[in-house]
Amino acid sequence: MRLKILIPAVAVALTLAVGVMYAQKEFRQYQGSEYDEFPLPPDYADKTEFVIGRLMYKSVSRGFRRYSSWTIDYPRADRHLAAGIRRLTRTNVRSVEQPVSLDDDDDVYNWPFLYAVEVGHWDLTDAQAARLRDYLLRGGFLMCDDFHGTDEWEGFMESMRRVFPDRPVVDIEASDPIFHTLYDLDDKYQVPGAQYLYTGRTFERDGYEARWRGVYDDKGRLMVALNHNMDLGDAWEWSDDPRYPEKWASLAYRIAVNYVVYALTH
Amino acid sequence: MFEFLFKYPANAFERGKIVLAGGWPVWLLVALMVGAGAAIAWLVYRRNKASLVEGPRQAAIWALQTALACLLLLMLWQPALSVSALKAQQNVVAVIVDDSKSMGQVEDGTPRRQKALDALNGGLLAQLREKFQVRLYKTGERLSRVEKLETLQSTDRATRLADSMKEVVAEAGSLPIGAVVLVSDGAENSGGIDLETINEIRRHQIPVHTIGVGRETMVRDVEISDAQVPARALQDSRLSAVVSFRQAGYQGQKGKLTLRENGKVLASQDVVFKKDGVQQTEAALFNAGTPGAKNLEISIDPLPGEENAQNNKVTRVFDVSDKKPRILYVEGEPRWEYKFIRRAMEDDKTVELVTLLRTTQNKFYRQGINGPKELEAGFPSTDEELFQYQAILMGTVEAAWFTPAQQELLNRFVDKRGGGLIFLAGRASFSDGGWWREPFIGLLPVTLPERKGTFHRDPANAELTNAGRDSLITRIEENPDRNMERWSKLPYIAGYQDIGVPKPGALSLAKLKSGGELLVTQNYGRGRVAAFAGAGTWRWQMLQPLEDRSHETFWQQFLRWSVTGTPTQVQASLSKTMLADESRVRFRAEARDKSYAAASDAVVVARVIGPGGAGSEVQMTPVPTESGVFEAEYNADAEGSYVVEIVAKRGEDELGRDVATFRREDGVAENFHTEQNRELLEKLAQQTGGTFRGAADASKLGNDISYSDAGITMRETKDLWNMPIVFLLVLALRGSEWMLRRKWGVI
Repeated sequence: MRLKILIPAVAVALTLAVGVMYAQKEFRQYQGSEYDEFPLPPDYADKTEFVIGRLMYKSVSRGFRRYSSWTIDYPRADRHLAAGIRRLTRTNVRSVEQPVSLDDDDDVYNWPFLYAVEVGHWDLTDAQAARLRDYLLRGGFLMCDDFHGTDEWEGFMESMRRVFPDRPVVDIEASDPIFHTLYDLDDKYQVPGAQYLYTGRTFERDGYEARWRGVYDDKGRLMVALNHNMDLGDAWEWSDDPRYPEKWASLAYRIAVNYVVYALTH
Repeated sequence: MFEFLFKYPANAFERGKIVLAGGWPVWLLVALMVGAGAAIAWLVYRRNKASLVEGPRQAAIWALQTALACLLLLMLWQPALSVSALKAQQNVVAVIVDDSKSMGQVEDGTPRRQKALDALNGGLLAQLREKFQVRLYKTGERLSRVEKLETLQSTDRATRLADSMKEVVAEAGSLPIGAVVLVSDGAENSGGIDLETINEIRRHQIPVHTIGVGRETMVRDVEISDAQVPARALQDSRLSAVVSFRQAGYQGQKGKLTLRENGKVLASQDVVFKKDGVQQTEAALFNAGTPGAKNLEISIDPLPGEENAQNNKVTRVFDVSDKKPRILYVEGEPRWEYKFIRRAMEDDKTVELVTLLRTTQNKFYRQGINGPKELEAGFPSTDEELFQYQAILMGTVEAAWFTPAQQELLNRFVDKRGGGLIFLAGRASFSDGGWWREPFIGLLPVTLPERKGTFHRDPANAELTNAGRDSLITRIEENPDRNMERWSKLPYIAGYQDIGVPKPGALSLAKLKSGGELLVTQNYGRGRVAAFAGAGTWRWQMLQPLEDRSHETFWQQFLRWSVTGTPTQVQASLSKTMLADESRVRFRAEARDKSYAAASDAVVVARVIGPGGAGSEVQMTPVPTESGVFEAEYNADAEGSYVVEIVAKRGEDELGRDVATFRREDGVAENFHTEQNRELLEKLAQQTGGTFRGAADASKLGNDISYSDAGITMRETKDLWNMPIVFLLVLALRGSEWMLRRKWGVI
C-alpha cells in the first residue's frame, strides 16, 4: 500500500551529528490526515527525557480512505497531550511527538513509549510484528487508541496475534496500578471522539461500551494498553474547543497521564 | 674463622667488654704512643735523608712503624675481655626439639626429625653435658619434657613456639636456666613469636640459640598461602574469593583453581604459574547461594610430582544472610532510568527496592512499600525512620528539596549508621541540584564543579578504569579483560553529567570515553558513597538483545555493593573464622540503638552452637575503650563448624541479634609453610642475644652457650694479647714495610 503521507512537511534543522552516529532518528514531521501544515513550537528541538512516539504503520483500507490511519489527529492531539503531561506531572517532555517506524532498523528502541491510533486498520508484517514484540519485551510500552466495534477489534487482533501469538489480551482490572499511578481512575467512562459533536453518539460502529484491555508480560507488567471503543486522541485534540465536553477531555488527559507515568515506572 | 682469629666466639665480644688488665695508667699509654710516633718521625726523616725514600714514601714508612709501635705498647698494657660466663655444672641448658608434624617431612631420604637428632648428637649434646645440666624438651602444640630424644614421633598438629618459649622462661624462676637451644624448622603456625614473648625472654636475659633444620625453599610444590572470602554475604549475590598461592618447579605450567561447597563445584578456572617462590593472587567469582553457614573449599589440583599435596587446599567459612536489605530510591521526576532500574532490581531477590517518586509538585508515587504508612509523608525526617534502610539511591532531586534537618540526616545515614548512598545524574543532580554545598561536600566522592549546566542530554559511551576492571560492581563478564572489552562496546548512555574530579582516596571505576568520570566510590565514616554520572543506562537494556543481561547485572551489583557492609544494630565479628589446629577465638559485637548510638549499657550474650548441636552461652563484656563494643573469649574444643548468635538487650527490649560462623579444623596447620623459616629463627636468636646455626654447624654452638647473663654466672677476664690476630698484625705491618722498601729499591 502506498504511503501517501510520507512527504516531509518540515525538513527539521536538528543537525546533530550524534543523531546519525547513534542511529536515533531526528525529529521529523509528516502531513497529517487532518492537518497539512502545523506550526512547530519554539522549543521543539529541546532535548528532553520523554517523547511521545507515534507509531507509523501501513494500514489496510476498510472502505474509502485518502489517508494513512496512523496520522489520525496527528500532530495536534500529540502536542496537546505533551503539554498536558508537562503541566500535570514533573516529567520532562518534548513539546513535539516523534513518528516512529518499525522499519527504521533499531530506531524504535530509542522511544520507549509509543502511541498508536486507528489500530483497527494496522497491518503489520511479520518482521514488524517481531520487532514490536522484542521492543515490548525489552521494556517498551504501547498505548492503542481510537478503534471501535467488532470489525476494528478483529483488524487489530490480526496483527496483534502476529506480535504475541500466545499471549492473551485481557481486561485491565480496576485495581491495576495503571489506574492509580497519578490519579485514582475508579470512575471511568467512554470518551467519544469529535464525531459526538455532530452525531450526538458517544460510540462508533458497534462499540457501545468502553473497554480497557491490555497485554501483560510474564511479571505482570502491562506492555500494551488498549482503549477500545474510545477516542482519547480526539479528546486531546479538541480539548481546547469549547464545544467538546470538558469531562471527556479531562478523563482523556488523566488516563493518558496515568499511562505515561505507568510506562515510566513499571 | 672469627673464633680462630680472635680466640673467643663473637657473642663473647658482644656480651663482654674490653679492659686493660696491666694496671698502668692509660694516659701513660697514650703519651708513649704519641712519643713513639714523634721519635719514629724524627728517625725516619734523618735516616732517609740520604736514601731515595722521601715525601709520601716517608709518610707511609712512618705510619707502618708507628702502628706497630702502638700495637706493641697496647699489648704491654694487657688488653683483656671481661665477660659473664656460665658456671660449669651449676647451670641448666634447655634443649627444645620441634616435634610437630612438619618435622616428619622427608627430605633427601631423611626426615627432618632425624636431621635435628643428628645435629644434637653430632657433638653438641656431649659438649653441653660436659659443662651443664641438660634438660630435654619437645615442642609442638605445647612444651613437655622428654628423657630421650629418640622417642620423638613428629606428630604434633601445630607449632606454637611463642607459647613454648614462655613456658620454658617461666621455669627460670625455679631453675638456673642459663641458655635455651631450640632445634626447629621454624614452621610456626600460631602467628609468629610476639613482642610480649620476646620481652619476657629478654627480662630473664636468657639467650635463645637456634638451630635451623629443613630446606629453606620448596622444590616441587604448590601451596595456597591465603584465601580471602567475605565473612557474610547476601543470598545469591556474587562473591569474590581472592586466593594467594606460590609454587616451585612449575613455572609457566597451568593449574586448576576450584571452589567447592559440599563437593559441588561453584567455580573453576585455569591459572598459569608465575615465577618460582613468588606469591601470586587470583580472584575467583562464585554465587553465594541460599541462606546459611557455608564451608567453601578452595583448592588447586595437585600436579604431577608434587611433594606435598596437603597444602593445595584450604577451607573458608562465610554466612549467607536470609535478611533482605532495603534500599530507598528517591526520584525527583518520572524518567526512564527509574523504570529500568526498578525492572533490573525486580529480578534480584536479595534486596528490596523501595521507591519514592515525585510525580507532581505535591504527589508521590511509592512502590515496594511494606504498607500504606511507609513513606506516607515523603522522605523520612527521623533517624529511626530512615535508618531502617540499608542504602539510599538518590535520583535527580535538588538538595534544597530536603530540609536542613533531612540534609544532616542524610549525612548521618552514611557516617553514623554506616549506610550506602548512591547519587545518580540528572537535571537536578550533583552541581545542578546544588549538592556541592555543605553538608554534602565531604560526603561526595568527587569535588563537584560549582556551576550549573553540568547535565547533558547527549550520548556518551563508558569505559572501565583499571580499578573497575576487577571491581564486583562493574563485573558484567567473568574474565576481567573481556569485561573491559564488553564495557567499551556497550551502547551509549542517553545522558551524562560533569561531576568533577575524584577526591583523594576515592576510587574511579569507570569513565566516559569523551572524558570525565562516570563512576566514583569512596568510604565515608562507617558507610560508603558512589557518584554515577550516567543518566540513561536504559539504552543498555533497550538497544541490546533481550537475552543480554548487562544492564540488570550492573544495577544489581551496584545496588548490592551499596548495602554490603551496612551494619545492623547488633553487628557480630570474630577474630578468626578458621581455626587451624587451634581453639581460641574472640567474639566481638557492636551494639547500637535505633538511632545507631552506641548502646554501652546493653547486655550482650553469645549463644554458640557447636558440632553435633552442642550449645553454650557466653556473657560478653564491654570494651572500656570503645563504647558499645563487647567482647568475649571462646574455646572451641571440638573440630567442626560453629554458629554464633549474638543477642543484645537493653532491659527487656531486644536491640538486635546477629549471626557469625567459624570452623575449627585439625591436622591442617602443619601442612602449610613447611620450608624452614630461617628468618624467624634468626630473629629469635638475635633479639634474645643468642646465635643461629644451621644443622651442619650445630656442634659449634657449644662454645657460644658459655656466655650468658642468665643462670649462675661468674665474670671471667680473658687475655687478648695472645690472640692470633695480634701476631698476624705484627707480621703484616713489618711485612708491608719490607715489601714497600723492596719495591722502591731501598733495602
